[in-house]
Parts: sequence; structure tokens; C-alpha cells
Amino acid sequence: MSDGGERTGPAGRPPALEVRRLTASYSTRPVLWDVDATVPAGSLAAIVGPNGAGKSTLLKAVVGLLKTDAGHILIEGRPAATALDRVAFVPQRDEVDWDFPITVREVVEMGRYRAAGWLRRLKAADREAVELAIERVGMAPYARRQIGELSGGQRQRVFIARALAQEAPLMLLDEPFSGVDARTEAALLDMLAEFRDEGRTIVVVHHDIGTVRARFDWAVLLNVRTIACGPIAEALSDDSLRRAYGGVTGGEEVEDPTWIG
Amino acid sequence: MDRLIDLLPLDYTESVVLIGAVILGVAAGVLGAFAVLRQRSLVGDALSHATLPGVCVAFIATGAKDAPTLAIGAAAAGLIGAGLILAIERTGRIRPDAAIGVVLASFFLLGIVLLTFLANYNNANQAGLDTYLFGQAAGLLKGDLEVMGALCLVSLALVTIFFRPLKAALFDISFAGSLGLPVRLLELAMTAMLVVAIVIGVRTVGAILMVAMLIVPTVTARQLTDRLSVMLALAGLVGAAVGSTGALISNSSGLPTGPVIVVVGFVVAVAAILLAPGRGVAWRAGKVLRERRRALNEGVLIDLETALHAGAPPTVDELVLTSGRSVSGVNRALRDLDRAGAIERDGDRIHLSEQGAAAVHALLHKRDLWSVWLEHGWRLELPDAREPDPRNLRQTLGDESTERLLDLAAAAGRPRGPGPDPAGEEGR
Amino acid sequence: MSDDLAIILTAGLLATACGLLGPFLVLRRQVLLSDAVSHAVLPGIVLVFLLFGSRAPLAVIVGAACFAVICVLGIEALRNTGLVHSDAAIGLVFPVLFALGVIGVTRFAGNVHLDLDSTIYGEIAFTPFRTWELFGVEVARSIPLLGAVTAINLVLLGLFWKELKAITFDPGFARVNGLRPVLISRLLLIAVAVTAVTAFESVGAILVVTMLIVPAAASYLLTVRLLPMVAVSVAIGWVSAVGGYGSAVALDASIGGAMGLVAAACFALALLFAPRYGRVTRLVRRARRRGGARLPVQG
Repeated sequence: MSDGGERTGPAGRPPALEVRRLTASYSTRPVLWDVDATVPAGSLAAIVGPNGAGKSTLLKAVVGLLKTDAGHILIEGRPAATALDRVAFVPQRDEVDWDFPITVREVVEMGRYRAAGWLRRLKAADREAVELAIERVGMAPYARRQIGELSGGQRQRVFIARALAQEAPLMLLDEPFSGVDARTEAALLDMLAEFRDEGRTIVVVHHDIGTVRARFDWAVLLNVRTIACGPIAEALSDDSLRRAYGGVTGGEEVEDPTWIG
Repeated sequence: MDRLIDLLPLDYTESVVLIGAVILGVAAGVLGAFAVLRQRSLVGDALSHATLPGVCVAFIATGAKDAPTLAIGAAAAGLIGAGLILAIERTGRIRPDAAIGVVLASFFLLGIVLLTFLANYNNANQAGLDTYLFGQAAGLLKGDLEVMGALCLVSLALVTIFFRPLKAALFDISFAGSLGLPVRLLELAMTAMLVVAIVIGVRTVGAILMVAMLIVPTVTARQLTDRLSVMLALAGLVGAAVGSTGALISNSSGLPTGPVIVVVGFVVAVAAILLAPGRGVAWRAGKVLRERRRALNEGVLIDLETALHAGAPPTVDELVLTSGRSVSGVNRALRDLDRAGAIERDGDRIHLSEQGAAAVHALLHKRDLWSVWLEHGWRLELPDAREPDPRNLRQTLGDESTERLLDLAAAAGRPRGPGPDPAGEEGR
Repeated sequence: MSDDLAIILTAGLLATACGLLGPFLVLRRQVLLSDAVSHAVLPGIVLVFLLFGSRAPLAVIVGAACFAVICVLGIEALRNTGLVHSDAAIGLVFPVLFALGVIGVTRFAGNVHLDLDSTIYGEIAFTPFRTWELFGVEVARSIPLLGAVTAINLVLLGLFWKELKAITFDPGFARVNGLRPVLISRLLLIAVAVTAVTAFESVGAILVVTMLIVPAAASYLLTVRLLPMVAVSVAIGWVSAVGGYGSAVALDASIGGAMGLVAAACFALALLFAPRYGRVTRLVRRARRRGGARLPVQG
């Protein structure tokens, strides 16, 4: 694997994701300040850092869900805004209405909407991609269930299948293991490693340093600014962890800062 | 439109009201879903109230009281109201419900002020405007129906054409945005749909009650299907059914149309919530009761086996004592077990029949399987995302995986057999 | 008592009664629930009128309180099925109750003096003319009525201040510590219903809802602690009352309407210019920060 300094991974591919001098803020305070980060192609990378460090914000900025104040984002060397078809995003699950009238298959089908065209019917190739994705995550027996009937781990598989169906080389997952049982977490990690072995780049926001150390290749340690970025051993050294977690934190993304009452 | 009116076996006014109610039902049903499914139904309430100042301003500005002019006024007020709600929410401190409340109250108050202002200065001319408050279906004209019908058809067509982007935006707006969909535009579109539904319906049911018409069809249809496309179609049907039923009842009884439609709608929605198969309250309560009964029967069966193992066949009272259950509970269970052929009574003592013994055996095996799963299951690789149900591991995991689990346990030194001895079970 | 004074006093008492309750509704996110309750009491008023043939305040208030409870229980029941979201539950229950009220009025009381219009948008200008004789003095009856309600609300707050504070901030904690959040929450909503119904007569439903929500929402933008929030809410209510009356007289417009609009104006001002949370003040602060401020370097 490349060390922190090189910009290209194996086979000379451009970095899957590159962030330069990115700054983004919520109403009163910056959440990302002058962030530089690189994720080499074909790696299983984690974004780690304390709460309020801007990890989710970074992912959202990559897919254009947030306006940034300054900086560039490059996907495979091209500006992110023009390369959205090269990235699949798995957002956090907390905003989903589980009672929504939608089945597993329909959720995964959404992954093909862009490729198939928004106003046209899904073609046979699209449907095949959907079925393959559902099977890959092990949800084939549940394809017709309404999503509210599934367990937390099963739901997360569905959303990963949706991202798979997009057939994009870069996958971004925002806290995919929260609310998921240990067995499913292990199975999902195995799956993500397989995706990486097939040539995809996987970027995961995760809070558990132990798991990251054990299973991931690359880490971006973030606390409003980049503390470290590189292969696991380097990026997650004791020194950088102390700098990220031990010192002043960037502050929580709290909207009502003081309710003294 | 004339042909449609003539077709109906009612007099002119009543036909107009009926058609108006049906159009209202369909529009509010389908378009309202885009608010209800995002938990923004009460924004619909606020925008309905906002139509009042809208029509007043339209009248003041143009002096005209025809349907299209007032509709434009109502729509404009609705969109401005929606924009204000969003703007207030965006400041961060004010929560959505407070933002909706402030806009609702302020706009409505403005409407009342304008209405009374017009009443003081313009007596006869403002008379038509306060029908927007409580609705006045009888005041509908053929021209109104044509406007309403046209709006409704166009909206439905747009919903059909843009179904996919709308579905994606409804369900998961972040994901839709990540696919490159124009999120703000879609939200604007859904708000516009809400406004159209309100403009269509507010003449019939009034600003105060309109929100119910937005909610009833979606809530009802949701109980009957799990798929969005089917749900939207059903919502339209339910809306039409509720509207027409309400209109007919109101015609024959002389009661005001809007309130009657709302009452009918409420009854329908509650009926769906209570009676929907597989999901409704009655169904779930039945399921819970059946489950409890089954658990009780199984428990008593195992208690019986324990007692038999410890000594002589017990009487009912002895069984009650050792099991710690209530007398009525034990008796109920024994009746069920008797009917199922699992027990044999011998005077006042109770034995297990052969069938019963086999049943106990199977039950204990099931419980034991669950313990095996807890201990060794983490090592077992499953072919897909199935998850075991403690009450029936073999069935939910499948025979093959269950056998492999037992093999794993055996390899770890656990004796492989049909089940542990009851003493071992008791020891747990 | 002069007519002007009677009207201002009525409005001021209303502002106080509402301003005491409003903050809790805003903080507990029950704004729309209170709006629903104020609509849902209509059948209560109608029923009492049909049964007792009078609009005697006490009976009407009890009837209203009953229907307020029915409304809240109905909404909770729907929510507890797990099949209906809270907002949909609210939007189903209050309209049907209101619809029943309207049907009741048009069917049974249409020809008698119980007009919907005044219930919805009353007219505070008439308060000096509806009088009672109290201790030999003729007094606008809205004043003792609203005064009583204000007193009741004050007592409620005084007795349950700590509990209200706790359940507003952390209902789970409150329940575990035996503070009965459900009971107090119901009491709050009953107080809202009672206030609403008492004020219907003088100012109509819509002004009541406005005075419950808008000053409290404005106050939320201006304060960070509970006691000041209540005080500021009442204060803004008074400003709306007096300011509204003044502008209505000057412009010859509806007094109640003017009061509500002044309240809305206060909210708009707070939204933009509140020292801590105002939109404009935050933009200014942000611009100042960008223009040269530096984030402290870490490590």
C-alpha cells in the first residue's frame, strides 16, 4: 500500500477522493476548516474523529448536499460536481421514516434511477443489477418486505445494496454500524472488504478506533481540521489520536447551545 | 362537464356538489400524500388557513370574485406562507411546529382582519369570501368545477410522469440529492402540490377543516398497502369515495357538506386503522392474544412435565402452586391442551398423553436450540441475512443451518442430542 | 371605567393568561396541539348550549375542558396505535370535533343566538358593552372572567413550577423521578382550553391562539432561561395589546386583528434582530468573523 505522501495507489490510479482546503460551516461556527485529505483508489478508508468533528459534513459536501465556503473536492481527479455518477452515498439512517410504504426491492431500485433515466422504465439490465445487489447483501428472501418489518442490521444491508446497485467505484457510508448488532457489523465489514478487493474505494465514517485499526487500510483523522491522513499505522498513532481527541474539541454541532432553564 | 352533470340522477346543484366533492377527494388524497408522508400535514393546515388572506387580497387588488382570480390569490398566499415557514425554521432556533403555528395564526388573523375590513366597507361584495372559512359547497358553479377538474388532472399527470424523482425525494431526500436530483426544486414541487390540493378543496370544506381531507385518504390507504404507487391510487379512490358519500349524505340530510365529509372521512380512517388485515389494531391485538395463549399453554405443558418428572401426576391445584400461575390461567391452558389431545385426565390428576410428551420434548428442544445459538451462533455463517426467532429457531434459520449449528456445538464438546434432561433445564 | 380602559385591560389580561402558558407549549413542541385544542372545544360549547340552553360561562368552560381532554386523548390514542404519525393524528382529530360542532350549530342552534363567527373572530370592541354587576358596580364581564383565568394560570405555574421546568426539559427523567409528566401535561392543556374558551367570548378563537403562540415564540428567541422567557412572553403580549389598540383606534381597524398583527411584528423583529439568535445579527457576526478572524490552532 502507498504511504501518506504518494498520491496514486496501485496501478497508477488517481486518488478516489481528494479534498483540498475545504471549509464548511453551520450557522455560527466552522465545521470543516481548511481540510486536506486524500483517499487512494482501491482502499478501505475510515474517517474518524470526535463528535462534531465534521465527519458527516465531509461526506455530505462530497456529494453536494451542503454548500461549502471554500475549497475543492475531486473524485478520481475530476471535480466532484461533475462526477456524481462515480460515487454512491449511504446516508445515516436516522432520518428515515420506517413506516414509509416501500419494499426492500423498491429501495434498491432507487439506486438505478439515475442510470436508467428518471423518467424511463427500468430496463432488464437495471433489474438484474438490482437483484444481484439484493442477493449480494443477503436480502434475497426479504425482497418484498416493507422496510419497517426488518431488523436494524437488515435495514442497513438494504441501503448498502442500494449503493451497490449504483455500480459506482467510490462508496461513502455515514456511520453504517450504529444501531447494528455485532454479528451484522462483522458481516458488513467483511462485505465492504470484499467490495474493496473488487477494486472499489470504500470510505466509512466510524466511531470505533479499535475496529478501524483492525480492519481498515487508510484513515483520515479529523477534528474540524485534518489531524492525520494516511495508512492506519501512521494516521492513528498515539500522538495524532491525542491531538484529535485529547485537546480542545471543535465543539458539538449544537443548535441550542445553552438551555439553562 | 355539462354532460357529466346531466348524467347524474340528481338535480343540478346536488350534482355540482357531488362532482366537486369527488374532485376534492381525489386531489386532496393524492396530492396530500406528499405532505402526510413527510410528516408535514400541519403545514397543510397552515396553508389552508393562509388561503383566507389570499382571497381577500386578490379581491381587494382586482375587485373580482371569480374562481380563477381567487384561486390565484389563495395559491399565492399558500406559497408565501410555505416560504415563510421554511425561512423561520432555517433560523435554527424555532422548531417546525412553532414556525407552522406562527404562520398559521398570523396569516389567519390577517385574513380575518381583511374580511372584517371588507365587511365594514363593502357589505354585499365580500359575502362570497367568508365561504372560504367554513366552505360552502352549494355555492360551487360549473365554472369552478372546470377549474378544479383541470388543476386536478394536470397535477395527477405530473405526479405520474415524475413519479420516480418524487418517490426518491419523499423517502430519502439526502440520497436523492446525492444522485443529483434538484432537492430544493422537488421540495418546492411538493409544496406546490399541497397548495393546489388546498386551492381545489377549500371552497368545499373550508380552511379550517381542509387539513383533514389531506390526511384521511393517505392514512387510510397506508393501512391497506405497502407500496407507494398503489397507495397513491388508493388514496385517490378513498378521497373520492369519502367526498361523494359525504356529499350525498349532506344532500339528503340538509347538513353542511364540508363537516359531513370530514366526519365520514374520520370514520373511514379509523375503520382502516382498526380493521386493516395484517396491520390494524384489531388484527394485532388478536395476534398478541394468540401469542399469549400459546405461551401460556406451552408454559403449563412444561410445568406439567416437570411435575410428572418429580413425582406423581399433579392435580390442578398442585400445578397452580408449583407453576406460580393463576388458577384461571392454568385451567384455560388445560382446556386447550385437553382439546389438542396433549393431556389425559385421571380423576383429578393430570397426565401427559403420548402426543403431549412428544410436544414437550419438541418444546424443550426448541429452547435448548436457542441456548446453543446464543453460545455458538456467532461462529455460524449464514447464507443470507436471515435472523433467528427464539421461538422457532429451526424454522427461521432453516434445517441446513440448524444442522450446521448443532455440528459446531458438537465439535465444541457439547453433546449432540434431541434435548437436555429436564433437570438440566431446571438448573438454568 | 372608560371603554378604552376596559378593552385594554381585557386584552392585557388575555395577554397575561396566554403569555404564562405559551412558553411551555413552545418548549414542549405542543404549539399545534394547543391550536387543535382551541378548535376542538367548539362541540363542547355547542353541547352545553343545547343541554342547558345558556351560555353561562362556568358550564361552557367545563364543557370546553371536557372536549379538550377528548381531543388530547383521541390524538394520543391514534398515535399509540403506531400506525399514525403525531401530526396526522392532530390533523384528524380536531377537524372532526370541530365539524361535529359546526353540524351541531347549524342543525340545532342555527336560529338561536350562538353564532360561529363571533366564536372564531369575536370582537373585543364589544367588551365594554357586555357587563355584569359586581358589588353594585357595572363591570365589563370579560375582566373578572379573564382575571380569574389569569389568576388560575398563575397559581398553576406557581404550584408546579419545578415540575413544569423538569418535564419540559427532560420528560423521561421527570417520569422516573415521580413527577407525573402526563398529568401535568394534561393540566397544561386543560388550562389552554379554559383560557381559550373564556377568551372566545371577548376576542374570538383566532386571537387567543395567536396570543398563545406568537409572543412565546418571540420570547424564545430573546431569552435562554425559563423565568425570563415567561416574563418576556407576557410583556410582549402587553405590548401587542396596547400597541394593537392604539393602532386600531388610529387606523379605524379591527382591534383584535391589530393586536395580533403587532404580536406578529414583534416576532418578526425578534427573528431578525434578537441579540443572540436573530438572523441579521448572526449574519453580521459571521461576516465580521470571516473578515480576518482566525481559528485557534490546535495541538
